[in-house]
Amino acid sequence: MARIIELTNLAGAYASRLFVEEGHDVIRLEGRHGNHLRELAPFLGNEPDPENSAYHQFLNAGKKSLTVNLDTTAGREIFLRLLASADVLMTSCPLPFEDSRLFEVNSKLVFVKIEDQEPDLCALARSGLMSLTGHPENPPMVLGGHLAALATGIYVAVAAAAALRTAAQTGKGLTATVSLREALETFVEQAMVEYTFSGIVTERRGSKGAITAISGALPCKDGHWVISQIHRPGRWTKFVEWVKDPQLAADPSLAEEENQIKKRDFILDRVFQWSSQHVKNQLVEEAQERHFPASPVSTTLDLIHDPQLQARGFLKEVDHPRFGQIMYPQGAVASMRRKELTPAPMLGEHNREILAEMGYSQSAIQSFAASEVI
Amino acid sequence: IRVLDFTHVLAGPCCTRLLADLGADVVRVESSKHPDHPWPSAYIDRDGRHASYLNTNRNKRSIAIDLKQPSGNKTAFRLAAVADIVVENFSAGVMDRLGLGYENLVARNERIIYVSMSGYGHDGPRRDWTSMNMNLQGYSGLMTVTGAEGDPPTAISNSWNDYIGALHACFAILQAVDERDSTGKGSQLDLSQFECSVAMIAPLLLASAVNGTNPPRQGNRSTRFAPQGVYRCSGTDDWCAISVQTDEQWSSLGQVIGMERWGAETRFANVAGRRQLHDEIDAQLQQWTARYSNREVEERLKTRGIPAERVRRINDLVNQPDGATVFTQMEERRIGSMLTTVLPFRFSSGTLPAPYPAPALGEHNDAVLRDWLTLADAEIQALKAQGAFA
Repeated sequence: MARIIELTNLAGAYASRLFVEEGHDVIRLEGRHGNHLRELAPFLGNEPDPENSAYHQFLNAGKKSLTVNLDTTAGREIFLRLLASADVLMTSCPLPFEDSRLFEVNSKLVFVKIEDQEPDLCALARSGLMSLTGHPENPPMVLGGHLAALATGIYVAVAAAAALRTAAQTGKGLTATVSLREALETFVEQAMVEYTFSGIVTERRGSKGAITAISGALPCKDGHWVISQIHRPGRWTKFVEWVKDPQLAADPSLAEEENQIKKRDFILDRVFQWSSQHVKNQLVEEAQERHFPASPVSTTLDLIHDPQLQARGFLKEVDHPRFGQIMYPQGAVASMRRKELTPAPMLGEHNREILAEMGYSQSAIQSFAASEVI
Repeated sequence: IRVLDFTHVLAGPCCTRLLADLGADVVRVESSKHPDHPWPSAYIDRDGRHASYLNTNRNKRSIAIDLKQPSGNKTAFRLAAVADIVVENFSAGVMDRLGLGYENLVARNERIIYVSMSGYGHDGPRRDWTSMNMNLQGYSGLMTVTGAEGDPPTAISNSWNDYIGALHACFAILQAVDERDSTGKGSQLDLSQFECSVAMIAPLLLASAVNGTNPPRQGNRSTRFAPQGVYRCSGTDDWCAISVQTDEQWSSLGQVIGMERWGAETRFANVAGRRQLHDEIDAQLQQWTARYSNREVEERLKTRGIPAERVRRINDLVNQPDGATVFTQMEERRIGSMLTTVLPFRFSSGTLPAPYPAPALGEHNDAVLRDWLTLADAEIQALKAQGAFA
């Protein structure tokens, strides 16, 4: 089990949560008023409070919270002493130390520096991802719910995990520098390949896909469903037999993938005419029986009741000290590893525990608290 | 670290590319009977490799084996027996039917790390559902949390879920290798791409679980900053993202766009007020941005310290001097050179392997059998005669 100390924003908070999901000891270092994650809406119970942010409650689950004032000499001393016991330090903000000082204190340290952070909206505009998202008649759209920031966080976790292996093999610490800007850019590599090889500029397509020939979210009687029909020999005939659309049936050239790509909007429009007369579950079940990739379009409220997420333990009913009996999302790695996370810590909840473990006396801890060092 | 790569399309191959980029010896098990490409692309080389394959499968070796032929199947099993990691993304049950499932392999190689990357995982009521990226964008909630209230589902024109699944798998694999170093035992990782994508919006799931409602769709606006939006500029379908994060930036914005009086109006003095009057602000701001190109809007705002970025398209990212830095030129023997994606991080301890071209089908049959199984040439010839290769 590794010990990870982190002072990060969204990306790093997800990266370090992945380490929690693997069973590591993660300490989140915060200022006296808490990190800005605690200010992010939505709030659980709809009560704005530093303990109630949904982002804090998900991303900091299973971590310990230590509040140290790094503007004080004593605070900086506590930090360096804690660092000596750590395997990884993950930061997305400047520290009041030279990097070399960190390695003097801990020569085996893996120091993960998260760089090139920008406001979500600007970062997505810059990366090209925004040009791929949204409806053609409306402005390009940011990805909802800060999900792009969390996605870049997986790169941070990969970098940290790889650096930990290097440190274990060499017995020496190292710095891993992650560029969040470049991490976002990797997600437009398909558009890059299409452009550099074929001169095609991929654009936003609303509810429709741009990669698979016939792919998109289409209206049905009770919401939307998704069909994503891959090209395989014989598939098209089966598909047309199911949809029973005379216009699609009348054009045998549509069996060719090339023609499907050329006429994808026409095909989707015909499928839309048909599916809008049917209900979601029936469409999805009938499609799956025929091995056509289909799924519902979900809201987050739908997902809470999802049988698959519950069956695999991604969602588990927990008795949360603050919110009572709730369905709690454990995480994709936790579900695979069959781990259950403890609730996110209250601000400074572990101050005394961590300082006592570091060897500070009760009276020293009292005086740190009194002088607002912790 | 030896990786035996049974994956196809994008999520799996992307995961093994990450491992290759970190220095693993990745051997793709392929077959001429099932030519693989991550997505259909216009460019196809004489050897049948798509542009998408060249980018996704570089830094790997290829062995072409017929898994349904007894000697081919046995060869694959022998390779798996000496591999550190096996990665596959078939539908549930396929590897078992081929005799290459976890139980069979772990009986022979207890250090094996066996990774399955199916759409929904190998258990639960959806285990047999087939899925593609767009299905998971819809099912995972991405399409309904993106966009503004009343918008239809909003997708990303890329294979988002494949990348998210690949990255989670890579992280879990690195951790499993660490665990094996200390316990001597491998592990079975049954990843669900669906869960990986849901995890990206899990805070909103949690909000729904506690509050019993769907969080409001924010569009391009923010709950913390105002004004924030993507504004139309003078060119065709030309846009600039603007996010005013502080009161100082707000007052600068008024000066830049000729609305100095905003600074004096108390109703705009804080974020709460500006959020309430967002439509009024947007109307003025939009009139101003419409006069300039997105590059000009960006420059005028940035020089005053106001966060702004023009919405770049892929041609801007590839061609402009301030474009993307994560793509790099790689020599490619089929076509001379091509742009490819590298890792967005670096280590102080030294450089990661440089990119090298994707393999031809079966290019490394002999080399892999020699390296991994120390087979002699005669043994390799015998396998050929038995029809192991395809």
